[in-house]
Amino acid sequence: MEQGKSDVLQGTLDLMVLKTLESMGPLHGYGIARRIEQISEQTLSMNQGTIYPALLRLRQKGWIRAEWGTSENGRRARYYALTAAGKAQIARETQSWERVAATMARFLAANTGS
Amino acid sequence: MARNLLSSLRTLASRCLAPFHRAALDHELDEELQSHLDLAAEEHRRRGLSPEDARIAALRSFGGVAQTRENIRLHESFPFLENLRRDLVYALRQIRRSPGFAASVIGTLALGIAAATAMFTVVDHVLLRPLPWRDARSLVILHEGDRTGKGNQDVPWLDIEAWIKRSHSFEQIAYSGTISGRNYLEGKNDALAISGITVSPNLFSVLGATPLLGRSFISEAPSFAPGKDNATIILSYSVWQTAFGGRASVLGKVVRINGNPYTVIGVMPRGFSYPWNTGDLGQVWVPIQLSKDDQTRSYSAMSYEAIARLRNGMTPETARAEMTAIQKTLAPQYTDPDLRKDHNTVVLERYGETLVDKDLKKALLALLAASGVLWLIANVNVTNLLLARSTARQREIAMRRALGASGWRVVRQMVTEGLVLSTASALLGIGLAVAGIHLAESARPIHLNLDLSARVNPAILAVLCGLTVLSALISTAWPALVAVGAPIEPALKQGGQQTGSGRRHHRMRGALVALEVAMSLTLLVACGLLLRTIYTLRRVPLGYRTDHILVASLNMPSWRFSGRNMVADLYNPLLERVQHLHGVQAAGLMSEVPLGQTFNIALTLRLNGNDVAARLKPVSPEIQRIFGFPMLAGRFFNSSDTPTSEPVAVVNPAFARLYAPDKHDPSSLIGTKFWSTRRNVPAHIIGILNNERQGTVAEASQPEVEVCLCQINPQATIYGPATIAMDLAVRTEQPTAQMIPEIRDILRHASPELATATITTMDQIVEDSYGSQRLAAHLLEIFGGSALLLCVAGLYGLLAYVVTQRTRELGVRIALGAQRANLLWMVLRQAAVMLLIGVALGTGLAWASGRLVRGFLYGVNAHDGWTLAGAAVLLLASGLLAAYLPARRAAGVDPMTALRTE
Repeated sequence: MEQGKSDVLQGTLDLMVLKTLESMGPLHGYGIARRIEQISEQTLSMNQGTIYPALLRLRQKGWIRAEWGTSENGRRARYYALTAAGKAQIARETQSWERVAATMARFLAANTGS
Repeated sequence: MARNLLSSLRTLASRCLAPFHRAALDHELDEELQSHLDLAAEEHRRRGLSPEDARIAALRSFGGVAQTRENIRLHESFPFLENLRRDLVYALRQIRRSPGFAASVIGTLALGIAAATAMFTVVDHVLLRPLPWRDARSLVILHEGDRTGKGNQDVPWLDIEAWIKRSHSFEQIAYSGTISGRNYLEGKNDALAISGITVSPNLFSVLGATPLLGRSFISEAPSFAPGKDNATIILSYSVWQTAFGGRASVLGKVVRINGNPYTVIGVMPRGFSYPWNTGDLGQVWVPIQLSKDDQTRSYSAMSYEAIARLRNGMTPETARAEMTAIQKTLAPQYTDPDLRKDHNTVVLERYGETLVDKDLKKALLALLAASGVLWLIANVNVTNLLLARSTARQREIAMRRALGASGWRVVRQMVTEGLVLSTASALLGIGLAVAGIHLAESARPIHLNLDLSARVNPAILAVLCGLTVLSALISTAWPALVAVGAPIEPALKQGGQQTGSGRRHHRMRGALVALEVAMSLTLLVACGLLLRTIYTLRRVPLGYRTDHILVASLNMPSWRFSGRNMVADLYNPLLERVQHLHGVQAAGLMSEVPLGQTFNIALTLRLNGNDVAARLKPVSPEIQRIFGFPMLAGRFFNSSDTPTSEPVAVVNPAFARLYAPDKHDPSSLIGTKFWSTRRNVPAHIIGILNNERQGTVAEASQPEVEVCLCQINPQATIYGPATIAMDLAVRTEQPTAQMIPEIRDILRHASPELATATITTMDQIVEDSYGSQRLAAHLLEIFGGSALLLCVAGLYGLLAYVVTQRTRELGVRIALGAQRANLLWMVLRQAAVMLLIGVALGTGLAWASGRLVRGFLYGVNAHDGWTLAGAAVLLLASGLLAAYLPARRAAGVDPMTALRTE
C-alpha cells in the first residue's frame, strides 16, 4: 500500500511486534512501542502511533489477538497476545529475513572486496 | 501459500464485518489511544515532568493521534462499505419518517414484482423445466406420418425392428404402448384406477432413469418368447404410496392388474413419469410381450410410440434424413393404401418439445409479457412518487451538497434508498406471488401440472433479484439525476417548497402518468378482448341443453366382464337403477358427452364410393331427451331399436354435408345403408342430428356417427372400444350435492372400480372447455385491474401533489376574484390532457400488441374498436374521478389559510 522505504519498514515493524510479543508475552500497545524503542536503542526513529496500524494488520491476519485487561498501574488497556498462527509466522519471517540479510551482507562484502 | 491465502481471507472477512459494529470499534479505538497516552504521560511524570508537560511529551512521542485514528479507520474496513452502511441507515430512517410514502412505494412495486415473478414461475415450470434425465436434449420421439411429413401415427413392431437393425443415428431405440382398456390395480376391497404402460425392456436405460427401489427391466434382445422379466411390474412413486403406503416390502409382491398377476420388481422415483403428463392416474410399467399382432403391418397390428437417444454428435436433422431414407423402403410393405399413406415418412421431434401444448405455450408467453407490462407500470408509478419526493427533499439534498457531498455520492445514496424499498417490495412480492400461484392452482382454470414441491429454483431467484435491482435502478435513476442536477443555491434560499424547476418537473411527471395510462390501456384492451371472447363463446348456440345434467365419466373394468355381454350385464342394469332414483328424469350412456374430451372412437369406412372418416359414438336412446338434441331429419333411437331389430345409425350435419348424395338436402342420406355393428347386416341411417359443437365450442363438429348402444354385442367389431369408457348422463332437477352420492352408490354396486368416477355437471364441462382463453382472461382481469388501479393512483398522486404545491398561488387567485369553478376545471383539464395523451399512445400500443392476442380470440377482431373504446372510456372515467378529488380541493382553497401557511 505504501511504497519504497516504508514498505520495508512496515514488514520490519510487523516482525518486531511479533518478536516482542513472543519474548515478553501479552502486552499493551504502549508497552510494545516502548520495548521496540529500547531494543533498537533509539537507532530507529519511530512515532509510537505507527504501532497501531501494525497491530490492526496483524490482528486482521489472525497472528495476534487482543483482549482488554488492566495495566500494572490499574488502568484499562488493550493487551495483545501471539496466536499459534502468529508463532508459525515468526519462524517463517525470521527465516526469510535472515536470507535477505545474508544476501545483502554478501553483496556488501563482495562490493568492498573488488 | 495456503497460509498466506488464509490470512488474506481473514483480513477480508474482518474488514467486511467491521461496518456492522462501527460504533463499538470507534469506542474501543478511542479508549485504546487514550490509555496509551495516559500510560506514556504517567511515565513522563514519574521522570519528574509536570502533569501538563508530561501530557505534551506523551502526545509528541505518539505522533499524530488524529492521523493514526484516520489511518486505522481506513484499514479497519472498506470505505465503500462504510458508505453503504451509512446510506442504509439513512434510508431506513427516511422510511421510518414517512411510513405512508414507503408503504405506497412498497405496495406498488410488490404488485409488479409479484405478477412478473409468479408468471415467470409458471412459465419456468411449464415451458422451461428441463426433464430430470441425463442429457434429455438428445431424446427424440419417433412417429410415422404422411408424405408431407405430418402426422403422429404410432409405429408397428416390424418398422421398429427395421429401424433398430438399419439406423445408425441412435444409441438405442425404445418403444412403449398401453395395457389395453382401462386399467385397475386390484386391492382387497377396492381397485385403484391406474395408467398401465407397456414398455420395451430398454426404455428406462434409454431415458437414463433409475428406480428408487429395486431394479428396472433387464435389457434383452426383443423376442416373441416370454422374456426374463415376463409378468413383472414397476410402480410409479404415487402408486407405491397410494396402494402400498410406501412400504419397501412391496418388492417381490404379486399384484393384479385387470385380473392378471405381476411381480413387483421396482419403484420409480417421485416425479418420474413416462409418457409425460397422463393426468391424475398413477402409472405402472410392464414389459411389452410381442405377439402375433406384431408380425403384420395391417390394421390389426399393435403399434407403439418410439423414443430414441441420439448418438453423440447426431442432430435431429441428420437422424430425420436417415430415417426418411429407411422408411422409403418400408412404406411399400404396407399393403393397405390408407395405411401406406399414413406411414409414409418418419416424424421425428425432440421429446422435450412434444410435451407442451402449443396453445398453452403461446398463452403463457403472452401473459408473461402482460405481467412484464404491469411491472413496468409499477416502476413508472414509483418513479413518479420518488420524483415528487425528491422535489420535496430538494432543500435537504442541496444542504448535503453544500456541505461537500459529491453528486455521485447523492445519487448513490438515493439508489440505495431505492434498493431498500425494492427489496422490501420483493419480499412482500414473494408472498403475493406464492399466494397467487396457490390460488391459481386451487382454482385450476386449466391443468398446468405444476409441481409445487420444487417451486423455487436458481432461475426464479435470479429473475426475482434481477427485477428487484432493476426496479430500484429504473425508479430512482431519474429522480436522483434530477435532484443532483438542480442548482444548490435557489433551493437553499427558498423555503424548499416552491422552486423554479417545478414546472418542468410537473411536465415530466405528467409524461410519466401518460405513459402509465398508455400501458394500462394496452392491458385493458387485451383483457377486454378476452372477456368478449369468453362472452362470445358462451353465446355460441351449442345445439343442445347443458342445464341440469350430471355427467359421470366411467372407465370400464372390462376385464371383470370377460366372456359376458357388458351391455346386458353392466350397462342396462346400471341405467335401470339410475333411472329409478328419486328426482331423475332421464339417464343415458354415451361414449363421450359433447365437449367431454374423454374418449373418442375413430371410424373409417367407405360410403357411396367415398372414404369416410368420422367419430363413432355408441349412445343409448335416452341421451336425446337428456341433451335435447334436435333432429334435422328423421328420428333418434328409441325403444323400438333392440338387439334383434334392424341395425340403425344417426349422423350429424357435418357428416351429412360431406357425404349426402344431394349436397343441398341432408335428409337425402336417410335410408342409406352402410357399415353396421352387426356382421353382414348393413345399418340404415335413420336420422340427422342438428347440432354443431361436439369437440370444442370454438370449432364446428367433425363428422360423427352414432349407433344404438343396445345393438352392440360381443360379436360386434365396435364392442371392444364400447367397453373401454362411457359417460353416464343424468337429467335431474335435484341439487347436485344430493344426487352425486346416490349416483356414486349405484356405481359402486355395479362394479367397485366405478366408485371413484369423476362426476361433474354438464355446465362445468362447457366451462372447462374454454381452457386457455379462460386462464388468460382471468389473469388479464387481475393484471388489467391492477394496472388501472396503479394508473389512477399515479394520476391522483400527481394532481394532489400539484394542488398542495400550488396552494398559495390558488389562494392568491381566489383572493383576486377567480371563480372556483374555473379552478376546478383547470385541474381537471390538466388531468384530461394527460389522460388523452396516454389514451392516444395506448391506442397505438394496443394496436401493435393485437398480434399477440389474436390467436386466443373467438368472434372478436384483435383490433376491435368497441373494446378499445370501452377500455379508453373506463380509463378516462376513472382517471377523471381520481382527478376530481384534488380538483375540488383546489377549488375549495381558503385564501386566508392558504396565504397564512406560507
